[in-house]
Amino acid sequence: MRTFRGGLTIGLAVAVLVAAAAITYERYDTKTLKRTMRRGEVLCGVNKGLPGFSNPDDKGNWTGFDVDFCRAVASAIFDDPSKAKFVPLDASERFKELQNRKVDILSRNSTWSMSREVNYDLYFPAVAYYDGQGFMLPRARKIDSALDLNGSKVCVQADTTTALNLADYFRTNNMTYTEMKFGKPDDVVKAYDSGQCDTLTSDASQLYALRLKLSKPNDHMILADIISKEPLAPVVRQRDDDWMMIVKWTLYAMINAEELGVTSKNIDEALKSKKPEVMRLVGTEGSYGEDLGLTKDWAVRIIKHVGNYGEVYDRNVGADSKLKIPRGMNQLWNAGGVQYAPPIR
Amino acid sequence: MTNFRQMIWMLIAAFGLALSSVQGHAQSRPDADEPGLIADDGYQLDPEWQKQVVYYRSNEAPGTIIVATAERHLYLVQGNGRALRYGIGVGREGFQWQGLVTITRKAEWPDWVPPPEMIARQPYLPRFMAGGPGNPLGARAMYLGTTVYRIHGTNRPDTIGTAVSSGCFRLVNNDVADLYNRVPVGTKVIIRQKPEL
Repeated sequence: MRTFRGGLTIGLAVAVLVAAAAITYERYDTKTLKRTMRRGEVLCGVNKGLPGFSNPDDKGNWTGFDVDFCRAVASAIFDDPSKAKFVPLDASERFKELQNRKVDILSRNSTWSMSREVNYDLYFPAVAYYDGQGFMLPRARKIDSALDLNGSKVCVQADTTTALNLADYFRTNNMTYTEMKFGKPDDVVKAYDSGQCDTLTSDASQLYALRLKLSKPNDHMILADIISKEPLAPVVRQRDDDWMMIVKWTLYAMINAEELGVTSKNIDEALKSKKPEVMRLVGTEGSYGEDLGLTKDWAVRIIKHVGNYGEVYDRNVGADSKLKIPRGMNQLWNAGGVQYAPPIR
Repeated sequence: MTNFRQMIWMLIAAFGLALSSVQGHAQSRPDADEPGLIADDGYQLDPEWQKQVVYYRSNEAPGTIIVATAERHLYLVQGNGRALRYGIGVGREGFQWQGLVTITRKAEWPDWVPPPEMIARQPYLPRFMAGGPGNPLGARAMYLGTTVYRIHGTNRPDTIGTAVSSGCFRLVNNDVADLYNRVPVGTKVIIRQKPEL
């Protein structure tokens, strides 16, 4: 009898341990790459509609900077950008849907911050786009520094971090301003367009989109000054390092390609290059792609199908797009910006 | 047999020549130098090529000029993370060199004496042209080191943002005059080319 009871206790203990182990195992997903490959597509959480970043047309074709990044990941894995499947997500549901494995990656203009990374058990592999708060004003004012905005009437969306940053910036620089608060972004624009404010403040990427809604877009400019940090990054689940590495190095491959002058147009020429940095990028030297769990030509696939970082920037938000946002901070580190990728070696 | 082959090749060559001359006429002259043409002052540059203050992180001292040929931008470093950026036209050939030069001379409405190598390529160019609105060097010129290359104006504002010159860097006349007033002789000019594969 005693031995039976003892056996039962041990059995129960084992069962509890196994269950605990299973729960722990379930909690941390380490198989994203495997599942993605079996499924044959990358599930990508994107914004439902944000010009330049993620925008579907009436036929359901997606365009944008965030969308193209997903296509780059799909290209690296499948050699086929159409293997990226887009899942439109609200701001409020985006992190939960990633945690619940409804998507493999979030590429949805999400600001990287400490609390999001630590509290949500998520990971932001690298900054894809350096955004930050700026100011739009009429060109005719002939102001080229935010420090000249003392005494301005400023249009701003109410109850946002934008309004708080505005207050901080003016206080820090001993300037005064009159706040003109509005509930919706469209009302902010209308008020500014009708001349109720001297300047409008929002994230710089937003300002260029809002400028297109003005009656005379070309009469307005956006100052070069950025007063806050909004680093936009893709997001993945923690503790799936193999997957995180693929997402991170997809972005770094695109940035390195631009730095080395490798584009979607000269990729064939690049494959014949004898320059060691180029050879490591395109896989004619080393086994960097295989070490990542992919193929030797992983970066070639990205560049061929989607382009290097500069090409993706120009096409979606830069000179060749409607928004025409100058490269600014998103220019490469050796050309005036802060965009910097560790080397492939 | 050989004769037949030669004939085929000659035919191909003739066809190619005909095709290239047609293209040459279809586009404007490949060099985009049109001596005598008066610049259209009302020409509206694409936003990308308009003069503007931009974010620009640099270790170079304020007042330094950085020419980013691949971008078709000329930066005048302002310090404090900013630069004044102008749109430029760059060389399709010639100035492939990169590094540091200084402005050795400045001239208003410069005369144009196309260098011999340019005459050799484009014999139809004048040997000398007095400065003025129809002059391809435009309103101002800043001479770079001891080279034959310059930062200058243009009578062809539509060529800003392209690679058509014989190696010089061209700005629209308003911009080159603006730059001219901001930089003295002795200004450092850093030329950057796109990386080679």
